[in-house]
Amino acid sequence: MHPQLEILLELQDLKAQQRELAGGAEDTSQEIERKVFRVKPEDAAAQLQAKIEEMESTLAPEIANRYRVISDRRNRAVAPVLGGICYGCFMAIPTGVPPSNDEIRWCEHCGSFLYFVD
Amino acid sequence: MQLREFFTQDVIKLDLQGASKDEVLKELISLLRLPEKSEGILFKMLKRRENLGSTGIGRGIAIPHCRSLVVNHLRVAFGRRSQAVDFKAIDDKPVSFFFLIVAPPLEVSNQYLPVLGKIAQLCREPDVPEKLAEISTPAEFLELLDQKQF
Repeated sequence: MHPQLEILLELQDLKAQQRELAGGAEDTSQEIERKVFRVKPEDAAAQLQAKIEEMESTLAPEIANRYRVISDRRNRAVAPVLGGICYGCFMAIPTGVPPSNDEIRWCEHCGSFLYFVD
Repeated sequence: MQLREFFTQDVIKLDLQGASKDEVLKELISLLRLPEKSEGILFKMLKRRENLGSTGIGRGIAIPHCRSLVVNHLRVAFGRRSQAVDFKAIDDKPVSFFFLIVAPPLEVSNQYLPVLGKIAQLCREPDVPEKLAEISTPAEFLELLDQKQF
């Protein structure tokens, strides 16, 4: 796997975790974390934000630029590809694109970085 | 939705060998049979979650969980270790029973939180730690879930 894609994946996962802890659409997560695991969601979200910023600073400039643009526009910068479909926009990935994570690729329709799950 | 629907025998290991928190997490991840690189990413995410606060909820039970793009649908696993390991649990007691839950960030069926909630609820049942210690096969674990009807 391309090391920058690995960072992008981790960033995406951290942001998903942070969104849940920060509330938003899934308040149940906050409730479970607080009641079952005794985690303070606000503190945890702040801790994750610091980690996100630290990791963002390790992205190569050209990747960071695209990451910022896509994140602003779509909230999620990396889209999984399943069965040849980009799950960022649900459009088919051209058959000529090899399903490999060894290079950084993005969807020609929505611009998301692509992560080939299968 | 019943917890039993999410577990199969191949994701249940009743003789975990890992002697530390990290080793147990890796062993649980291995039950999901992911590519090696994905296993590494998932381990990092689970560790990050643990750094926010232990998922050891007390009474010898831990529920490590996170969302990650390395899975394409909700995945669960259960592990048991005869000698409990230090998991920095909220009651400071070592942990023997581990429920792993991983789901993708975007989940159409939205099962992650309900499953997490149900497992937490199951673990609060007074007799569950004792029952989990008694089972001797993965099939018995599945039967326990059936009996409990969570």
